[in-house]
Amino acid sequence: MSGAELTVGWAAVILFGGFFLLLVLRVPVAFALGLSCLPILVIEPRLSPITLFNETFKAYNSFILLAVPFFLLTANLMNIGGITDRLVRLSRTMVGHFPGSLAQINVVVSVFFAGISGSSTADAASQSKIFIDAQVKEGYGLSFSIAITAVSAVLAVIIPPSILMVVWGGVISTSIGALYLAGILPGLLIAGAQMATVHAYAKLYNYPVYPRATLREFLIAGLQSLPALLTPVIIVGGILLGWFTPTESAAVAVIYAAVLSIVVYREMDGKKLIQALSETGKLSAIALFCVGTASAFGWLMAYYQMPRLLLENVTSWNMGLTEVGFFIAFCFLVVGCFLDAIPAIIILGTTLQPLAESVGMHPVQFAIIGIVSLAFGLVTPPYGLCLMISCAVAKVPLRYALKDTLIMLVPMMLVLAACILWPEIPLILPRLISPEFLQ
Amino acid sequence: MKHLLARIYRLLTWLLIATVAILVVPVTMQILSRYTELVPAYIWTEELARFMFIWMVMLGAMIGVREATHFEVDVWPVLGPRGNALLRIVSQVFVLVFALVFVWWGIEFTRFGWDQLSEIAELPMWTIFIAWPVAGAAWVLFLGEHFVENVRVLRTGGAR
Repeated sequence: MSGAELTVGWAAVILFGGFFLLLVLRVPVAFALGLSCLPILVIEPRLSPITLFNETFKAYNSFILLAVPFFLLTANLMNIGGITDRLVRLSRTMVGHFPGSLAQINVVVSVFFAGISGSSTADAASQSKIFIDAQVKEGYGLSFSIAITAVSAVLAVIIPPSILMVVWGGVISTSIGALYLAGILPGLLIAGAQMATVHAYAKLYNYPVYPRATLREFLIAGLQSLPALLTPVIIVGGILLGWFTPTESAAVAVIYAAVLSIVVYREMDGKKLIQALSETGKLSAIALFCVGTASAFGWLMAYYQMPRLLLENVTSWNMGLTEVGFFIAFCFLVVGCFLDAIPAIIILGTTLQPLAESVGMHPVQFAIIGIVSLAFGLVTPPYGLCLMISCAVAKVPLRYALKDTLIMLVPMMLVLAACILWPEIPLILPRLISPEFLQ
Repeated sequence: MKHLLARIYRLLTWLLIATVAILVVPVTMQILSRYTELVPAYIWTEELARFMFIWMVMLGAMIGVREATHFEVDVWPVLGPRGNALLRIVSQVFVLVFALVFVWWGIEFTRFGWDQLSEIAELPMWTIFIAWPVAGAAWVLFLGEHFVENVRVLRTGGAR
């Protein structure tokens, strides 16, 4: 090892041991990541805490990450502009006559909202307020209502646009346009799995059913929601046609959402606008601050060449493409239980990338396996942000809705397994629509 | 003191709102200049956007400490108000260490950028780097406020 005072082993003990100890002591994740770097930065003669500043500065000084606040702002503007109500109405006319009507509507609204926002936490926050209470009033179980709201919120980072895909594309240099297209089919399959789960629950517990809506009602609701539903078309289409970069497309989405809320739906005023801006700033800054300290953490891992050593170890197991796929999913699922998705991408994604490459896995498939696994991590304890939000809205502790959440995860896991077994599931849409992005 | 902290908090919140609102402008200009003749194609738009973004992240990180909204993992069973306050004090001592590192080495970091100019817009780099020690200082203040409150809960058991 060139110029390193500590052996790799000790460095790993300090980094990971320190990190987990701090997590247990309930130090916020972002600070725990930065703090566990400090002893090494002080001990190593060639490094100093200034390294921490340089790495955080480099991480934030990124035009791609700018898309994160834009996505959140788009979601918030659409929310205060009354667009969510219209999406609920549209979903009601589409799936309201299925068993478990309101829960089915919950899932379908999540799909629509996923196409507008790229943030699962924004989705979980807004839909928990709408659905949990309403479902309980109609006789659905509280734990079921919390669980379905939380698991359907994870669709927001799988169906484009997606904050996680932007971060992945920026950190591991993969085409964001290709990732967007690749996420559509797995996202819809997961939504289908969730609707099937709701169906089974509804039959078992006799959940209520709404009368079927007429075609006329469907058309009217569709027409009212159409401007909002064009958002993903603008974002994804603008990138595919080469009009905008991913960040620019997110800015266009903000302006589009603002125009819709002010001019078309006319439900926004100054106070709500200020609130949307402040919520956007707070949430995106907290999520992104983590990116800086996670980058410093990842940089130190690379300084001691930990990813390379890990790779050498794992390659000696002689795994094939499918085994590596399951191994990657397993790693992301486990890490997703303890870590927020964005730092997990920065630390684990870059570590596993050489492994995926060594067995010839397509970078887009690798990204989708990672992102879907991390999305599931949003509802797995102890650190499942979406489940935490839904439980907080319902004012119950996290463990209250755990059983139903885990049951709902089973069919979703099957979709993840399918994406590993058949690379075509994520790859077919980008291959058909824009093969040049897959190069 | 409480008054002053509340003022600082409000100032930071307004600055944060301003940075989010302004962020959209340079990126929009960049698109407009490419497809229309409305604005000239300035090359500094991208850099300006990135620098606003850095300030947004740091401002939000400062506010997050006062609002205690930085994400944390909870593996503890339900603790009473006293146990909770004790655990908070322990974890916040660690955050305080981090904050002091930000102040101490952050000043050095800012000095390091004292006569550096940014590559494109030629902005003095210290205007960006100073966000780090400022964040450290804001954290120290807000942590002090939490500490006083936690000690009060420890003493009284949470009764007001």
